Amino acid sequence: MELLAQVLVNGLLLGGLYAVMALGLALVWGVLNIVNLAHGSFIMLGAYCSWHLFHYLHVDPFLGLPLTAAVMFALGYAVQRGILNLIVRAPMFNTLLLTFGLDVVLTYLAQLAFSADFRTINPGYAGHQWHWGAMVLPAVRVAAFGAALVLTLGMWLFLLHTRLGRAIRATAQNLVAARLYGVEPRHLYAMTFAIGVALAGTAGGLYGTVSQINPYIGASLTLKSFAIAIIGGLDNPLGVLVGGLFLGVIESLTILYIGPTFVDVASFGILALVLIVRPTGLLGKTA
Amino acid sequence: MILKRLQLLSSLCALGLAMAAPASVQAQDIVLGASVQLTGPVANTGRYYRDAYQIAIDKINAAGGVKIAGKEHKLALKLYDNQSDVNLSVRQYTQLVTQDKVHLLLGGFASNFQLADSVVSEKYKIPMVQGGGASNEIFSRNFKYIFGTLAPASNYFGSTVQMMKALKDGPKNVALLYADDSFDVSTAEGTRPLLKQAGFNLVMDERYSSNTSDFSTLLSQIKSKNVDAVLVAGHETEILNFVRNAKSLAVAPKMYSFTVGVPSEDFRKALGKDADYAFGMTAWLPVESLKDRWFGDAAKFAAEYKAKFGYDPDYHAASGAADVEALAMALEKAGSTDPQKVRDALAASDFESLYGPIKFGANGQIDLPQLVIQVQNGQVAEVYNAKGFDKQPQYPMPAWNAR
Repeated sequence: MELLAQVLVNGLLLGGLYAVMALGLALVWGVLNIVNLAHGSFIMLGAYCSWHLFHYLHVDPFLGLPLTAAVMFALGYAVQRGILNLIVRAPMFNTLLLTFGLDVVLTYLAQLAFSADFRTINPGYAGHQWHWGAMVLPAVRVAAFGAALVLTLGMWLFLLHTRLGRAIRATAQNLVAARLYGVEPRHLYAMTFAIGVALAGTAGGLYGTVSQINPYIGASLTLKSFAIAIIGGLDNPLGVLVGGLFLGVIESLTILYIGPTFVDVASFGILALVLIVRPTGLLGKTA
Repeated sequence: MILKRLQLLSSLCALGLAMAAPASVQAQDIVLGASVQLTGPVANTGRYYRDAYQIAIDKINAAGGVKIAGKEHKLALKLYDNQSDVNLSVRQYTQLVTQDKVHLLLGGFASNFQLADSVVSEKYKIPMVQGGGASNEIFSRNFKYIFGTLAPASNYFGSTVQMMKALKDGPKNVALLYADDSFDVSTAEGTRPLLKQAGFNLVMDERYSSNTSDFSTLLSQIKSKNVDAVLVAGHETEILNFVRNAKSLAVAPKMYSFTVGVPSEDFRKALGKDADYAFGMTAWLPVESLKDRWFGDAAKFAAEYKAKFGYDPDYHAASGAADVEALAMALEKAGSTDPQKVRDALAASDFESLYGPIKFGANGQIDLPQLVIQVQNGQVAEVYNAKGFDKQPQYPMPAWNAR
């Protein structure tokens, strides 16, 4: 019984981290209709950014997250304005191809710049944990979970109540009408993508504290974020949170009751199920 | 008109450049071909082979090269990057044999790759010596042209299990975790009967997906089942995650032992103090007692390697260097570059090298005993070998907050 409770907690904490990773992808996909296959690479770059801040400037990884987010925001803005704006109204295939190419370029540039050596972000409190009864709560995971809640809620409030957030939603619904209201699409698209990349970078900073960093971690993270975005639904940031938590718990229970090799079977099985039964996602609006 | 001229001009230029490519390989050089992971997820270990092959070839050439029928031949290396992609490596080996017409083949890293690549060497009957694949599967197909300098995967934990038995107040409950690739599955299959024979209680036997980043659930199970010793057969990235997860969940079994990671400087640096107390194994340590014809001894090899490349070699590098030496010795013994003669000379190899005694079994795989090592205060210490305990092992492992 204790083991089950611990495993559920592990699953929820893992799910929180998953949710942060998927948030940026879901935003960009839901609003811009760009499936960003380079999402994992941006997470990886964010992780390296945090690592450099931690290693050379001794900035605490959590306190340094806003800095990482700012750097990644600038990068995302430049990428969208310079490259992706060229294909934003092109067929879906073009965006997949372009972002895939971007993914490869970013990965191999990282290999050249940073080498394939493993890096970890190891602040003094990295191994710390809290004990609640018989349960162990790793401090860093709890902090990542907290960050997930804050970012998701922040994203939701931003989209609902701020001017820019409303402009983003308006552009997603009807570009012509939005332009009539004074929205400048190139700038807006760039801002949206930049926010998405900033979120990816933040996720990377968190990922670096719980796992290890090398240039090739991007691919599997893109896949995971993709699955979570679909499971949770693209309409609502809360959907991503629910999707992430759900997947985290399912994976942990699969390891406990079925076996660790079946984790991918479970995740993608759930994905297939969701697509069949409720294609707009768990929290998506039914068509 | 101008376009056509431009096209003609550019194609002439391309032709000219191709023909003007510097002829760095002399006509009578003996070319060794290899496809190694220089980029991609396994690049971190692949680079050991690139660097080892280069330093061994340079050293042999500096000593006059390989003497065949009275004439001295220099060795040359033709290296491709397979980007950690097995299918690409198979294509590259085919290209090395059919288009580049190399004389002999060297392997890359990882059993999965050697399993597929050795099919090429067998098909074209060109001997391949590899130092990166230990899985028994590679050598169980009756192939005649594949040789390996890594000891069998099935016996990787052999000396560790012996040590566990010899410890005072040794472990009783054992957990075996392994990744789902060729090497780790082979290791697990070999370890189970060893544990049973030694009388240990195998309470957990779990196979996990490669590239798993989260071991929380498995660690929670380890804690709840009161496991004393955890044996993990996996890849460096997974083992890094395992140790970090263990620390954050405050799971500290009495000991844990890993098939990879502990011998590598990179791994120890990434974990810092968290790497302490971890057990591992290696068939090689840079000791002076391992004499070598070209480098003098293993310690000199390690020093030269570090001076040239900037990082310490581990058994992968030593194994790679030994592969080149095995080919050189076989060429001299055969007295020709004929693949069949070299193959027979390789099968009869029997010489001392910086890596240890090179003698291949009937199936082509070397058999060397694994030394049990442990990270003690940031350094690798040899704690157990065929003769028994060397340095005292630090056992049991203290709780994480008591370090």
